[in-house]
Amino acid sequence: APFRSQEKKKKESIFDLSKYIDKPIRVKFQGGREASGVLKGFDPLLNLVLDGTIEYMRDPDDQYKLTEDTRQLGLVVCRGTAVVLICPQDGMEAIPNPFIQQQDG
Amino acid sequence: MWLSCEQFLPSKLWSLQKLVDKCIGSRIHIVMKNDKEIVGTLLGFDDFVNMVLEDVTEFEITPEGRRITKLDQILLNGNNITMLIPGGEGPEV
Repeated sequence: APFRSQEKKKKESIFDLSKYIDKPIRVKFQGGREASGVLKGFDPLLNLVLDGTIEYMRDPDDQYKLTEDTRQLGLVVCRGTAVVLICPQDGMEAIPNPFIQQQDG
Repeated sequence: MWLSCEQFLPSKLWSLQKLVDKCIGSRIHIVMKNDKEIVGTLLGFDDFVNMVLEDVTEFEITPEGRRITKLDQILLNGNNITMLIPGGEGPEV
């Protein structure tokens, strides 16, 4: 059957993080915090252990804007309940805003 | 000075349980979802990662690193915890 059966009791993850072990990843959290580090461990609840972690600090005036500022945190446990996004460190980049309409002047 | 992986727990696959267990009795730095951070000595935690800490210092990061020191013990609600940093000393003030 192509779909997962509802009778299956065992909790399975839809994504296997073990392919990212020992690789640098970027993590975003509820509340706007962002960090990256080398993935050293995880559990089914998405709690993560990151090594050599750096946190990207946000603009105090605009909570959603990142600054150049970072801080070193080292060995860190990230709570799965707060994680909203995980991607490989080289898996994203900033681009110019594709939604800006050019005004005719 | 922050801890590195190898010196803290020389095991293959890490988990929250193992790492935080190792930290019981030592200093830990907790980063909340908002701009609050807590540093204290870890006495224990539960399945929801509510934490009992003592000799606690509370930091508010936004208003130029204001510090509020509390002694004795606190129960920290795990609902808003984002990161746990074993052996951490807290933010630069």
